[in-house]
Amino acid sequence: MNTGAQNTVPAPNPLPGIASDRFAAWVEHWRRPRGGSAVKAWLGLLALILLTGGVVYATGGTGFVWVHLMYVPIILASGIFGIRGGLISAAVAGVVAGPLMPLDVAKAIPQDTENWVLRSHFFLLAGGCGGLLSSWVNRQLERLRETHAALVRAHEELKAAQMILIQNAKLESVGRLAAGVAHEVKNPLAVIQLGLDYLTHTVKGDKGLEETVQDMEDAIKRADTVIKGLLDFSRSEQLTLAPCDLNAILDETLLLVKHELTKNHVTVERDLQENLPPVELDRNKIKQVFINLFINAIQAMGSAGGTLGVRTRRQRLTQAQADWGGKASGGFHAGDDAVVVDVEDTGTGIPEDKLDKLFDPFFTTKAVGSGTGLGLSVSRKIIELHGAAIRISNRKTNGAAAQIIFRPGERNRS
Amino acid sequence: MTTVKKRILVVDDEPGMTRMLRRNLESTGKYEVRTENSGDVAVAAARDFHPDFILLDVMMPGVDGGEVAARLKEDKALQNIPVVFLTAIVKKDETAPTGSNIGGCEYLAKPVKLEDLVACIEKHLGKG
Repeated sequence: MNTGAQNTVPAPNPLPGIASDRFAAWVEHWRRPRGGSAVKAWLGLLALILLTGGVVYATGGTGFVWVHLMYVPIILASGIFGIRGGLISAAVAGVVAGPLMPLDVAKAIPQDTENWVLRSHFFLLAGGCGGLLSSWVNRQLERLRETHAALVRAHEELKAAQMILIQNAKLESVGRLAAGVAHEVKNPLAVIQLGLDYLTHTVKGDKGLEETVQDMEDAIKRADTVIKGLLDFSRSEQLTLAPCDLNAILDETLLLVKHELTKNHVTVERDLQENLPPVELDRNKIKQVFINLFINAIQAMGSAGGTLGVRTRRQRLTQAQADWGGKASGGFHAGDDAVVVDVEDTGTGIPEDKLDKLFDPFFTTKAVGSGTGLGLSVSRKIIELHGAAIRISNRKTNGAAAQIIFRPGERNRS
Repeated sequence: MTTVKKRILVVDDEPGMTRMLRRNLESTGKYEVRTENSGDVAVAAARDFHPDFILLDVMMPGVDGGEVAARLKEDKALQNIPVVFLTAIVKKDETAPTGSNIGGCEYLAKPVKLEDLVACIEKHLGKG
């Protein structure tokens, strides 16, 4: 089961559609560097300015067209550091392409000394404009990044909602099918039941026949249990909600399965947090869920018995809980106020490859005739109708654990 | 001394079902049973048979159980006869609207045990 899906948003390509990922990554790396990277960038830019100055000098001095090469480090600096970087590099370039340029080297290299002040102004203008442009681009990139992150989050939420819709549609189809099958099977079952009732009176005294009739009665009961499960599953009536004390419901349910607990040598480890906030619940339906979970736990521990852990607490949802809870029901977020119920057993646990199928209708890990494969499907449906979420996983040590997340307080659910 | 047997009219479209109901109810020695396999003739059968209790299937081709019950309620001679539905549809949201239209008749879910059926009949006959 998905227990801890990371919700981190991958860094977006800052130049989507106009640059390769590699170039985009390079731009991303050198955009507004800090610390060591900033020092390296400044040293690199200084070296480039000096190198360009050298090239200008070697190619005939500032009076020739190659002086325009000085714009390269200025534009780069403005791109990397913004307006401040552009102006500083422009000033340095102005000095290099002016006072620092030897004025008279064997009279062979003419220097454009008259215009260096004007040229320096052009450099500053280029650095300033480049910086402004770079700052604007930078702001756009930041916005793009934020939009991308929001889109990724929205996409994730949409995917989760879509999964819920698909699952619900599947369950609805199964539900309709189940209701139809239940109706068609109940009629012949009723005839058989009445036939057996009639035979019961006529076979009195014949032990073999009496046993046969009894076996057939048991078979009808089992079939009827399956049909009841189908009908429970197909029902999608609205809930009768009222603020409830979850601890009280758990205690009442534990009382209902007391006989099963004793018979199967199961001890209960009860750790219910006091003063839980009330939760809006359909009392009977939630009891049905807890009965399913308790009976599953008891059966999972087998004849040797074990410990059934029942815990409740109020807590802020962790990121992991919000992830699976959000996927299960939608709308759970990290930090949300929640009432959490844990039901744990000390049985053999559930094979990892079966964990994902536990809530599928008709899926069962129990022996033929012991389970209908509908208990957990019905339970999840009930839980989801409450806007709550349920997850079953294996415990680290031994056995399985079910966790249900409820929203405390009153809800506006019709 | 012979006790007067109470008359029960059973209407269900499945012949196997009506046969079993008749056999079982008659085996108790307390009831005289008439069965019909169609809602169309149910009201006429009630007028003719004068039952003390009517057991009705809900889903039947033609006139269904709800319609039969409604017609019975419209008939002054028949409107006080207790009617109980015997149905394979136990979804409350499906039976409730019909039930409320006909004065909220009780229903039993199939498959029903004879003892439960008899208890239900006796309860209603006791009221009358």
